[in-house]
Amino acid sequence: MPDSEVVFRVSRYRPESGGRPTFQEYRIPYRSDMVVLDGLNYIKDHLDPTLTFRWSCRMGICGSCGADVNGRPRLTCGTYIRDMRKGAVTVEPLSNFPILKDLVVDFDDFLDKLASVRPYIVRKDWGDLSKEYIQYPEDVDAYRQQSLCINCMLCYAACPVFGASPEFVGPAASALALRYIRDTRDEGGAERLARLNTKTGIWECTFVGECSVVCPKEVDPAAAIQTLKFLATTRHMRRLLMPGSASR
Amino acid sequence: MRSLAWNPGRQTVHADVAAPDEVLLEPVFWSLFSVGGFITAFLLPVTLFLLFFAAPFHLWPGDPAAYATFLAHWKEPLVRLFFFVLIGGSLFHGTHRLKFMLMDAGFKGPAAEALLDLILNGVAIFGSLGALYYALRGWLF
Amino acid sequence: MTVHEYPARRRRGWWLRNPRYLAFQLREAGGVVCALYGLILLNMLIQLRDGESAYAAFLNLLRTPPVLYLNVVLFVLVLWHALTWFMLIGKAQPIQFTRQPLPWKVVFGINVLLWIGVSGAVVYLIFGGM
Repeated sequence: MPDSEVVFRVSRYRPESGGRPTFQEYRIPYRSDMVVLDGLNYIKDHLDPTLTFRWSCRMGICGSCGADVNGRPRLTCGTYIRDMRKGAVTVEPLSNFPILKDLVVDFDDFLDKLASVRPYIVRKDWGDLSKEYIQYPEDVDAYRQQSLCINCMLCYAACPVFGASPEFVGPAASALALRYIRDTRDEGGAERLARLNTKTGIWECTFVGECSVVCPKEVDPAAAIQTLKFLATTRHMRRLLMPGSASR
Repeated sequence: MRSLAWNPGRQTVHADVAAPDEVLLEPVFWSLFSVGGFITAFLLPVTLFLLFFAAPFHLWPGDPAAYATFLAHWKEPLVRLFFFVLIGGSLFHGTHRLKFMLMDAGFKGPAAEALLDLILNGVAIFGSLGALYYALRGWLF
Repeated sequence: MTVHEYPARRRRGWWLRNPRYLAFQLREAGGVVCALYGLILLNMLIQLRDGESAYAAFLNLLRTPPVLYLNVVLFVLVLWHALTWFMLIGKAQPIQFTRQPLPWKVVFGINVLLWIGVSGAVVYLIFGGM
């Protein structure tokens, strides 16, 4: 039984007509265990079926439901309405991305950046594929934190550098690059560092740190990028001062 | 503007796009910026306090910046080294930050960045060389 | 029929939207102020070479009230740069002395203690003690 009501201010944008995004208000019944995604689904199911937004697992693992809620990038499935300040809940599409429709943003660019860091095990020679690649717990610990990334892109919405420079490779792609560089089974460190040691790579980052603040999985991409700056610098110096030595 | 038939997922992700060129000097200036960050964080506050605020606000016995006092310390090689390191570190640190602040504010693009690199790193390099000159002057020559 | 994407753009007052962004901008400003003081200290060495009257004139300029209060403001920004630098070391921990990274507040505390120690050393080794 709903205790009361809550007002949702949701950004609407129609791709057919263009123009600018506008806000539409909806008054919905409120229960104290509701998350923002529940509110959006209530609107779509009962009030306005034209409202368009992404969601899937509703448990913070698929990374689909990112949006700016009350001005801050959050997963709508993981944001309780009761934790918002009194008043309307404002839902807008993730900052810094082009808007396709309503709350849906275009992140093709992010997928290109992710692909450019080769987010998979790279080996020159796979050898006998029936052989098991042994990893000890401490080997997994070395990259576990970065492996938790769910590609939700809240970090890109939070990053003011990405906001001003859309070519910046960004926090998530960098963190995932580090995840593979630190994997003992991987041999692709040099080519990933080569990709990141560019003007659109990690050197754009000024360590604002907001990416790590908004990350729902505590990946800490800001620290990952600073580590990559060190790795890229040591590799760069070695290549400058000792040309012809091993590139890793 | 796109055709209504455009489907965001239909195009293959461009994994085969050639990687942009690697930078040449950015890691060098970033390293100097980082070392400068340590130098300024640890050494600048106490230095500024003693030279510019201790005496005017009566927070210290005597005035460490007074001509005779400072000149007496200036004879020591350690003091000369200290000021060279402090000035060099401050310049490399601050010019790097200024470059990124200006680029963030809109001074962007390859030409703008090249100009900023030239001017700001030029200031840092010449300033450091100047500090080295004054540190060595009167001691080694 | 065509469809239009609404282009992405960063808001003008983006750094006023939360306290961490503002703290970041002040930190960056503090860094730039460090370079300004680098030039001021360099000029001080130049005036030192030029003799007592030139040196005293420069020092008095820095100590006359409007310039002095501006210096106080700039000094606060330098302090903010130093404090945020210690926080950043904690958050990035580029050189780890322990197997797992330490909590950043611990590293911050260690750096503050080091800072006090180094400042004391500077007082005695560079400026001749109290």
